[in-house]
Amino acid sequence: MSVLEGAIIYSNLLVLLSIGLTITYITTAVPNFAQGSFAVFGSYISLTLLRIYGIHPYHSIPVAFVFGGLLGISVYLFILKPLIKREAEIVILMIATLALDLILLGVLGAYSDYLASVTKKGAKKFIFTPYDFNIANLSAIFVVSILVITFILACLFLLLYKTKFGVALRASMENPALAEIMGVNVEYTRIFSWFLSGSLAAIAGCLLPFRQEIVPLTGSIIIVSIFAASIVGGLASIYGALLGGYIIGISESFITYQLSTVLGSGVLVYSKVVSLIVLIITLILAPQGLTGVRWRKIKWFKSILSST
Amino acid sequence: MVQEYLILDIVIWFGLYLIVCLSLNIEYGFGGIPNFGRALAVLIGAIAVGGIINRILMIAFGITGGIVEASGTVKSVANEVIAANPVVGIGILIATLLIAMIFGAITGALFILPSAKLSEDYLAITLLAISEVMFMVSYYNTDMIGGYYGVSVPNVLAFVPGEQRLMVFAGLIILIALLVYLVVIRITNSPYGRLLKAMRENEQVVEAYGKNVMTIRIKTVAVGSAIAAIAGALYSFYSVNVIASSFSRVEWTFYPFLMILLGGLANNKGVIAGVFAFVTVKILLIVYKYEITAALHLPFEAVWLEYIMFGILMLVILVYKPEGLIKEKSIMTEPIKKLAKAKK
Repeated sequence: MSVLEGAIIYSNLLVLLSIGLTITYITTAVPNFAQGSFAVFGSYISLTLLRIYGIHPYHSIPVAFVFGGLLGISVYLFILKPLIKREAEIVILMIATLALDLILLGVLGAYSDYLASVTKKGAKKFIFTPYDFNIANLSAIFVVSILVITFILACLFLLLYKTKFGVALRASMENPALAEIMGVNVEYTRIFSWFLSGSLAAIAGCLLPFRQEIVPLTGSIIIVSIFAASIVGGLASIYGALLGGYIIGISESFITYQLSTVLGSGVLVYSKVVSLIVLIITLILAPQGLTGVRWRKIKWFKSILSST
Repeated sequence: MVQEYLILDIVIWFGLYLIVCLSLNIEYGFGGIPNFGRALAVLIGAIAVGGIINRILMIAFGITGGIVEASGTVKSVANEVIAANPVVGIGILIATLLIAMIFGAITGALFILPSAKLSEDYLAITLLAISEVMFMVSYYNTDMIGGYYGVSVPNVLAFVPGEQRLMVFAGLIILIALLVYLVVIRITNSPYGRLLKAMRENEQVVEAYGKNVMTIRIKTVAVGSAIAAIAGALYSFYSVNVIASSFSRVEWTFYPFLMILLGGLANNKGVIAGVFAFVTVKILLIVYKYEITAALHLPFEAVWLEYIMFGILMLVILVYKPEGLIKEKSIMTEPIKKLAKAKK
């Protein structure tokens, strides 16, 4: 697997995760700190299917999709909705998702012990690379991750722009109060967004073990990258998640690798530092993210500079 | 004998967590600053011990070499010196606490600067990210505090006989925690405490009265981080080694939030109640983990149960008892107390 190939695979998965984070932020205004653990949840679903039923991880994507979505919905209905009803502040909602992250960590850790005792094979640390194969000189995960992301983006586009439900969804993201007056059930759009967030994260989690080792704690490590991706793109825009996912994904793996050829291999462990630096630069220059910048204004500014 | 250790363990963790929670309560409870990066300040305290004091002692004793190996030599040499001369040990302890506080205050002041441009949620994410990345760097970089190898730390109480060390240490930590408590009460029961609450409720009003919100934030987080760094330094001296992995987000950011929400926000007595309840449960869970796993026939390690339990406890507090065990009261400064008396 070449470095660029790895960077693109990672970026594809990061895009899935940051789209999920962004869509729930848009509908419920909660930055979900458990998004990383949602992914690890998906990883354990595919591990279970592989170890117990011998199903190849690529075939477990639909199962992960469904279960991830159910996890997302139950998080919204049982944890966030009661708090939102009480008009809890945003920081309280964020603390609730931190608590959820801890619960998921505990559940996944306990489950990994349980799975190990059932299958007599360690489950606290695993990787799927031995199960991968090649398709025309490219690793299968490269092809699969590109197919998955293209398929999901196409579906999302059709759903949001070509269906009545999509129009209602976009309306309630844009202005929930107005959408409600026009007869849109905002509650449905929230539930749907949490379903989507959980299911996309689970798919990403299904594929992530092909690129890196998974431990129950992986979620709280990748959350930094997910947030960086969403914020760099702009937390208020789905396109932002797409853009930010690739920027952070590429800079974290590809740029870090390039740096390591100059500065020595010791740099490799600091890939998260690179995404943090990108995050902080964005926050200073454009707190609303790249999609929040009014590019036309800047171009206009430039044209004045060039004409004088 | 087991009971004695159990009580000392509870006392030590009560003291350490009390210091951290008091600092977080100033920032979040009173000031409303969502500091999701509390663990960073505690880590800074540990760096003051493992990274700075160790290096100073290396120079003082003329020891050379990498920090990981040299710290072992420093430890054995320093322990002999301290055993012969208790003043040196106490001196090192006080010097370290001062260094930890200074570095804590500086990092705290720098750490909060992004808040000038960010709303609450973005700020919380940024602080968490900075803290998490610093945690990773100090774990992977072996030159700072030994990374995943960790470094040894001199026993500042080497003059105390081995069997009494734990008891003396517990006393020391409780004494320092008490001092911190008294200082924090003075800080918060003052016009400054009222200003913090005003900032929490409405920043625009505070600005309209001619106060600079950014200055208040920088001061508050600097003070908070200085206090939290004390806990990091004390913990490192207590465990006689420093390893970055003991300063995780769960232990030093999430649990402190849980304790202050359990006790009641903006309420120093509430913090005591919250910390005591939490620490007792946590230590009992750790001490009796094998008994618990066996009795409940758990097919997994008890640490996962701890995470699940405390996560659920947090959600229960947030949903059913957001005001905590002890409710917030208004601040009684001396002039207000006089006014209240006159009214009666």
